[in-house]
Amino acid sequence: MLLTAIGFFAGGFGALAGVGGGIIITPLLAIYFGVPIHQAIGISLLSVIATSTATSSQYVEHHVTDVRLGMTLELATTVGALIAALVAHHVDRRTLALLFCCFLAYTSASLVRKAWGSRRQQGEAAIPDYTIQNYPLGLGASLVAGGFSGLLGIGGGPIKVPVMYLFMKVPLRVATATSNFMIGVTAATSAYIYWGRGDINVTLAAPLVAGVFAGSLLGARLAPKVRGFYILTLLIGVTGWLAGQMIYKLVTGGFR
Amino acid sequence: MSREPPAADHVLALTLKAGAYTAFALIVAGLILQLVTPLGPRVITAGVVVLLATPVLRIIVAGIQFLRERDTRYALVSLGVLSIVILAYCLGIQA
Repeated sequence: MLLTAIGFFAGGFGALAGVGGGIIITPLLAIYFGVPIHQAIGISLLSVIATSTATSSQYVEHHVTDVRLGMTLELATTVGALIAALVAHHVDRRTLALLFCCFLAYTSASLVRKAWGSRRQQGEAAIPDYTIQNYPLGLGASLVAGGFSGLLGIGGGPIKVPVMYLFMKVPLRVATATSNFMIGVTAATSAYIYWGRGDINVTLAAPLVAGVFAGSLLGARLAPKVRGFYILTLLIGVTGWLAGQMIYKLVTGGFR
Repeated sequence: MSREPPAADHVLALTLKAGAYTAFALIVAGLILQLVTPLGPRVITAGVVVLLATPVLRIIVAGIQFLRERDTRYALVSLGVLSIVILAYCLGIQA
């Protein structure tokens, strides 16, 4: 029950704020449920696929997603995810936890920027024409994002979206939707490896994934009607708190 | 760079939607069923398998759409992504 509720909130907030639920789910499982971190990551990968599949159909339907760009960058994210998933097994828990802390802190910071920008949010404007630039940089960033995804069970949106927006000159909404579209395939790539190793505990994952599905489907529907600012502020609080908790547990010798 | 005609996007969206709802329904059904029959966990596993298979299915569907538009370049890109994912699947089975 509790797991379903967590999944629901993670999925809902994920869909509303444009981040995958993974960033919340891995630390929650690892900190409060005593799930070994490799298993927490495996389960989180499933929720990333759920979020992506549930929400991206809407963006694809409304032609916000750039399917060609997404497919191209997936060439790199899947390679990164594959390598990272193979390596993850040999990385010790404390190192993974530390990496996760860094990523949580980075995500909090990028959310702060996003919240600041969303104060004066313009409505659903039409997508301007754009020419994609700088493919090599985009592919490089996607490789890194895929690597983080396979290593930490997250989507990697906070890495890809800024690169697509700032350097590839893709409109922000298109970048977000395309990243959201990509993370399903990326997470599936590493999920196969985790599944093969027995690091995906289906009994534990099922209630969580059901919650994530319900949350993302609802969140994707509500997204256009809700003021992003408040959700982002709440999410900054949650990610900040989780980063703090993980650092505390690392320092006091958890995650052995 | 041209954007897809609406029809291709529609088929792709439909694939994702079908995968999402099927996996969701199976997992929820399994969760409820496991309270009454020993079959529950199997239904849940089936749901997880659908969840894991949907991204692969959508690569194939997108690839076919590109072929129908005679966009060989992106059909090849899709094939590339598909081969990496299949490689991961094979490595996963071995592990």
